[in-house]
Amino acid sequence: MKKLLLTITAISLLVACKNEGEKKENSTVQEASKEQVVNVYTHRHYESDQDIFERFEKKTGIKVKVINASADELIQKMKMEGAQSPADVLITVDAGRLTRAKDLELLQSIDSEILKTSIPEHLRDVDDQWFGLTKRARIIAYAKDRVSPEDLSTYEDLINKKWKGKILVRSSSNIYNQSLMASIIANDGDEFAKEWAEGIVANMGRSPKGSDRDQVKAIVAGEGDLTIVNSYYIGRMLNSPDPEEVKAANQVGLYFPNQNDRGTHINVSGAGVAKHAPNKENAILFIEFLISEEAQQIFTNSNYEYPVLANVPPVETIKNWGNFKEDDLALVKLGENNKKAVLIFDEAGWK
Amino acid sequence: MKQVGNKQHVFSLKTRLQRLKRDGNKWSVFTLAIVFFLALPIMFIGVKLFSGPGETWSHIVDYLLPEYIWNSLYLVLVCSILALIFGISSAWFVSRFEFPLRKQLEWLLILPLAIPSYIVGYAYAGIFDYGGSLDLLFRQMDFDFIRIDIMNKAGLAFVLSISLFPYVYVSARAFFLNQANNLFEASKMLGVSEGKSFFKLMLPLARPAIVAGLVLVWMEVLNDYGAASYYGVNTFTTGIFRSWFSLEEPETAVYLSALLIAIIFALILFEKWQARKVKFTSAKTNSTQMQRRVLTKSMKCLLFCVVFLPVLLGFVLPLLQLIYWAVLTASTVFDLKFLITSLQSFGIAMASSIITVFFALLLIYFSKWSTLRFIKNIARIGVLGYAIPGAVIAIGIMLPTLALDKWLIKILGDFGITSGFIINGTLIALFYAYAVRFLAVAYNPIDSTALKVDSSISDSSKVLGVGNLKTFFKIEFPLIKTGVFSAIILVFIDVMKELPLTLILKPYHIDTLAVKAFEYASDEMVMEASIPSLFIIFTAMIPVIFLNKLLIKK
Amino acid sequence: MLTIESLSKSFDNGKSYALEDVTFSLKAGQVCAIVGESGSGKTTLVRLIAGLERPDLGTVKMDGKVMASLGKFVQPEKRKIGLVFQEYALFPHLTVLDNVLYGISKVKNKKERAQKMLTLVGLEDMGQRYPHQLSGGQQQRVALARALAPEPELLILDEPFSNLDAMLRTQLRNEVFDIIRKTKVSVLFVTHDTQDALSVADEILILQNGKVVQKDAASNLYVNPNTLYVASLFGSTVRINKNLQNAFKCPLKETCCHAIRNEKIKVNPSSGDFDCEYITSAKVIKKIELGDSVQLLLKLESGEQLTVMTQDKNIEDTINIGFNSKDILEFDQER
Repeated sequence: MKKLLLTITAISLLVACKNEGEKKENSTVQEASKEQVVNVYTHRHYESDQDIFERFEKKTGIKVKVINASADELIQKMKMEGAQSPADVLITVDAGRLTRAKDLELLQSIDSEILKTSIPEHLRDVDDQWFGLTKRARIIAYAKDRVSPEDLSTYEDLINKKWKGKILVRSSSNIYNQSLMASIIANDGDEFAKEWAEGIVANMGRSPKGSDRDQVKAIVAGEGDLTIVNSYYIGRMLNSPDPEEVKAANQVGLYFPNQNDRGTHINVSGAGVAKHAPNKENAILFIEFLISEEAQQIFTNSNYEYPVLANVPPVETIKNWGNFKEDDLALVKLGENNKKAVLIFDEAGWK
Repeated sequence: MKQVGNKQHVFSLKTRLQRLKRDGNKWSVFTLAIVFFLALPIMFIGVKLFSGPGETWSHIVDYLLPEYIWNSLYLVLVCSILALIFGISSAWFVSRFEFPLRKQLEWLLILPLAIPSYIVGYAYAGIFDYGGSLDLLFRQMDFDFIRIDIMNKAGLAFVLSISLFPYVYVSARAFFLNQANNLFEASKMLGVSEGKSFFKLMLPLARPAIVAGLVLVWMEVLNDYGAASYYGVNTFTTGIFRSWFSLEEPETAVYLSALLIAIIFALILFEKWQARKVKFTSAKTNSTQMQRRVLTKSMKCLLFCVVFLPVLLGFVLPLLQLIYWAVLTASTVFDLKFLITSLQSFGIAMASSIITVFFALLLIYFSKWSTLRFIKNIARIGVLGYAIPGAVIAIGIMLPTLALDKWLIKILGDFGITSGFIINGTLIALFYAYAVRFLAVAYNPIDSTALKVDSSISDSSKVLGVGNLKTFFKIEFPLIKTGVFSAIILVFIDVMKELPLTLILKPYHIDTLAVKAFEYASDEMVMEASIPSLFIIFTAMIPVIFLNKLLIKK
Repeated sequence: MLTIESLSKSFDNGKSYALEDVTFSLKAGQVCAIVGESGSGKTTLVRLIAGLERPDLGTVKMDGKVMASLGKFVQPEKRKIGLVFQEYALFPHLTVLDNVLYGISKVKNKKERAQKMLTLVGLEDMGQRYPHQLSGGQQQRVALARALAPEPELLILDEPFSNLDAMLRTQLRNEVFDIIRKTKVSVLFVTHDTQDALSVADEILILQNGKVVQKDAASNLYVNPNTLYVASLFGSTVRINKNLQNAFKCPLKETCCHAIRNEKIKVNPSSGDFDCEYITSAKVIKKIELGDSVQLLLKLESGEQLTVMTQDKNIEDTINIGFNSKDILEFDQER
C-alpha cells in the first residue's frame, strides 16, 4: 500500500514537474527561436473555447496559454503583477468587469480595422480597450400555464403588485443581476432603481438562491410564476443531457421585455489586450480570430450565445425564439454603475 | 541563607537578561524564522487593517453585517450540534458494540471528508430539486405534492454538518479506542449503568479530543464559500468576496476577514473558558483496547441503521447523485487530458502535504528544543492560517512574493538575464500558500501524538549523550510516525479539495480537479462538474482508507 | 564531585519557588538520598542537575567544572550523568539490547559492554525482547543497565521503586544497590520513603517546600533531627506542648521547641521495673493488636491524646507512662 502510494506520487509529481519544465523551456526557447505564444486570462471556461483556441494554434502557430479564474480574481492578479504581468489578453463574461479593468489601467487601446468594422459601437469600449465577443440577453421566463405573455411588458413592470409572491430571481451577488440593475440605473435613474429593487423584493416568491437554471426549474415546480434568466442558460437546458432539464425548459415561455421602448437588456462576454502585454501583436491576432466567422459560429453553436458578428446566424435553438430589439445602451455604463447597483441591492434587502 | 533578598534578585532585569542570553539557542532563532515565514502573508493582511476600511464600510455595517453575524453564528451552532450528534454517536457505537459490517462502517464514516462540502451542496440541491432524484421518486409514488426545499439556511447547515462530522468522529473514536477502556470498566464495576457511564464519564473525558475535532468543523463552516453562495445564505465569507469583488474594496474585505478571525478566536476562547475546570492530564498508561459488547439481533439491526445513517447521508447519497450525473455527461468531459489533470492534482497534493508536514514538524520540535518558554507560545501563531479564508491567504502570499519577484527580476536584469516571475505563477507560491493555509491540519495530529510520548523518553535519550536531532530521528520520529502519516493524509485531502487559493495562485497549464469541478459548477454546469468531483473523491478515498488502517493498528 | 550552590528555580516567574537557595555537595563514590514529600522539589533538583531544566539562579558544578550557572549551560547530553526515571522511560520501539546500546553507540566494544551490563542486572537472555514483554522489575533493571552502560560519573535514580509492590520493592532495592556498589559510581537517589533512604544511603538530604532542611549521615538524622518535620519523617513524634509539659512535670527551656518520639514513651509494665524521669497516668481508650505488640491510644487527664506501643499484653484501664530527659529532642523554636 505504502509503496503503491509512493509510486503514484512519484509519477504524478513527474507529470507536474514535466509540465512545469516544459513551461520554463518554452520561455527560454521563446527567447532563442521566438516561439510565439499568447497568454490568456479568461473567465470563460467552456469546452468549446478550448476548441477555438486549438483552431487558432493550428492556423497561426501561436501557442495559447490559459489561466482560468473568475474575472475578479484575474483583475486582482493583473493589478498586483503590474508591469511584469505575463497576461496578454483578458476575457470576461460581462462588460462591467472589462470597464473595471480599464479603469484600473490594466488594458490598452487597440487600433484594429477588423475589430472596429465587425463589432457594433455599443458593444465595444469608446477607447477600443475592449471588445464584445458574444451577446447574452437577460429575459423573462414564465410558467406557460399560469402567465399570459400579454400581461408582461417591461422590466419596470415587474414591480407591479399583480406579481406579488410570483417572482423568482437569483442572488444580487450575481454579475448578470448587477448589470441589469446598472442598466436600469442608467435608463431610469437612481431613485427609480431603488424603488424597482424594493418592488422586486416585495414581489419575490422566495429568498434569492441557486442559479438561473434553478429558477427555471422552480417555476416549473410551481414555486413562482416568472423569473429573470440569461438566454444562453435556456439554450443549455434545452440541450441538456438530463431529460428532466429539457422537459423543464420546454415548459416555460420566454419573453423579451421592453420591446416597445429601449429594448431587452443585453450583456457581452468580451476581451481586451493587457496594458503590459508581452505579446501584443499575438494578442490582437487572437482577438481578431475570436471575431472571425469560424469562431463566432462555434460560440453560438455550442454555447447558445448570440454572435456579435451580424452575418453569423445564431444557432437553431435560439433562432427559434425570433429576433428582438436589444437595448443599445453603451455597455460602458454597466461598469460605471456596478458599485452603485450593489449598494442599492443591499439597501433594498435583495440578498 | 547566604544571600539576603535572594528572591528579588532572581527576577531582576539583569538576571533575566543573563538567562535569556544563556537559554536563547539556535532553535529559538529557527522557530522565530519559521513563524515569521508562515505568518508573513497574515502580517501583510494585518498591516492593511491600519489603513482603515473602505468607504462602503458603514453601508456594510448598516445593511449586511447583522445578517452576516447572525447567519455565521447560526451555522456554527447548528453544525456543531449536528456534527456532535453524528460524530460522537457513531464513534461510540463502533468502538463499544459489535454489529454487522462494523469494520466496514468504521472507515466508511470517514469518507464524507473525501467530498468537498460545496459538491455535497450541489449534489443535495440536485437530489431535492425539481426533476431531481427525490422528486422523480415521489412522482413514481404519486407523492408529487411533496417538495422539500433544501436551499436555505437550515439545509446549508445540514449539508455542512453531514460532510464535516467526520472531524469529530475521527478524534472521538481515537480517544474511545485507545484511552478510555480502563476508566469505563472501572465505572461499570461501580455499578453505574452503560448510559450513565457514557454521559457522566466518557463524554467529559473525551471532551478535549472532541473539541479538537469540533474546532476544525467551525473553521470549515466559517470558511465555506461555494455551498453558502449557492444556497443563497450570506455569511462572512460570502461577504468578503462580495465586498472585495462586487464593491471593489479589498480594504473592506480585509476588515471583514479580521472580524471573522476575531469570531473564531472568541469561539476558541469561549471553549477554553468553559473547559477551565475540567483539565485532565491524559492517562499515559497504555489502556487496554475497548471490549466490544455483543447485542441481541434486533439491537444489532438498530445500531447498524443508526451508524449507517450518517454514511448514507454524507457519502452514499451524494455519491449516487454524482454518479448519475457522471453517466449523463461522461462523453463530453472525460478524455486523456482529464487523466493528466488527475495525476497533476494527486502529485501537487502529495508534494504539498509532505512540505506542510515538514514545516509542522520543524515548528513543533524547534520550539520544543528552544528552552525559552515564550517561544512556544509564539510558535502557535504559525497555525493561524487555517482560520483565514483561502482567497485572503492567496492575496497575502501575492503581496510579499510579488515584491520579491519584482526585485529578483531587477537584480537578474542587472546581470543581463531576463526571466519571468520566479515564485508567482509557479508551484513554489502554491506550495507556500498550502503550507500557510493547512499548517494547523498537520500540526494538531502530530502535536497530540508527540504529547503522548512521555517527556522522560526523550529526556532519557539526551541524558544518554544523544543530541536533539539524533534523538528526534532515532526515538521521537518512530514513536510519532502514525501522527505524521495521519497529518500527511489529512493535508492531502484538504489540498485535493482546496479551491479559491488554487484558483488564484496556480501555474499556467496546471489544472487541479477542484479547479475543473469549480469551472463547470460556476457556469451552472453542475452535472458536468460531477466527473472531476468523483475523481477528487476517489483519489481522496485511497488515503482515507489508509488513514483508518493506521488508526486501527495503533 | 558534585557541588550545588544556592540553586533556585521557579516555574511561575517568582510567584512561588519549586526550589529555593539549595546548597549541598556530594563526594565521589557516595550514595546520597534526597528525601521529601511529593511537591518538595526533589525531582526539580535532579532535573536541574541532569540539565533537563535550567536554573533561575545558582550553580551546578561537577568535578569543579560549571555545568549550569547564570551565564553558562552544558547540554544534558554532555554531562556524563546516568538517569533512571520513575516510569523507566524505556524506548518502546527498541529491543532491550538496543536500549542498552543506545547510549554507547560510539564506544568500541559496545556489543560486549551491553551484554556485560545485561549480565550484571541478570537479564542476559532478554536482549531480544521488547520492553512491553517484560515485568516491571525487569524493565527497572533494563533502565539501570541502560543508564550504567555509558559509565556515568553520577547516577541519578528518580523514585525508581515507587511503581513496584512492597515485596518486590525491598528485594529490588537491595539488588539494584548491590549492582551499583560494584560500579563505584556516585549516586543521587530520590525517594519519598525513609526506609529506602536509611537502608542504602551514606548521606540523606531532606527537602521541604523547595528548601534543604537538613543534610546529614543517615544514623545522625534519627538522633539529631534539625526540625520536628525531620524527626517525624523517621518515626512518629509528638511535640511536648505546655499541657504535656505540665502532665509529665518536666522542666524545659522556654525558648526552644521540644518533642519526644512515640516509641521512646515507655509504659509501666505489669511486672518489673519502670524507671523514667517524668511520669504521668493515662486512660486507655483503644487497644490495637499488632501481632507481637499492642498499640495503645491514651487520654491524659488534661485531655491530650497520645499513642504508645508496648509488648505487654496485660494492660489495665489506667496506666502510668513516662520518658527520660536524654530522649527529648530539642529544636530552635523558629524552625
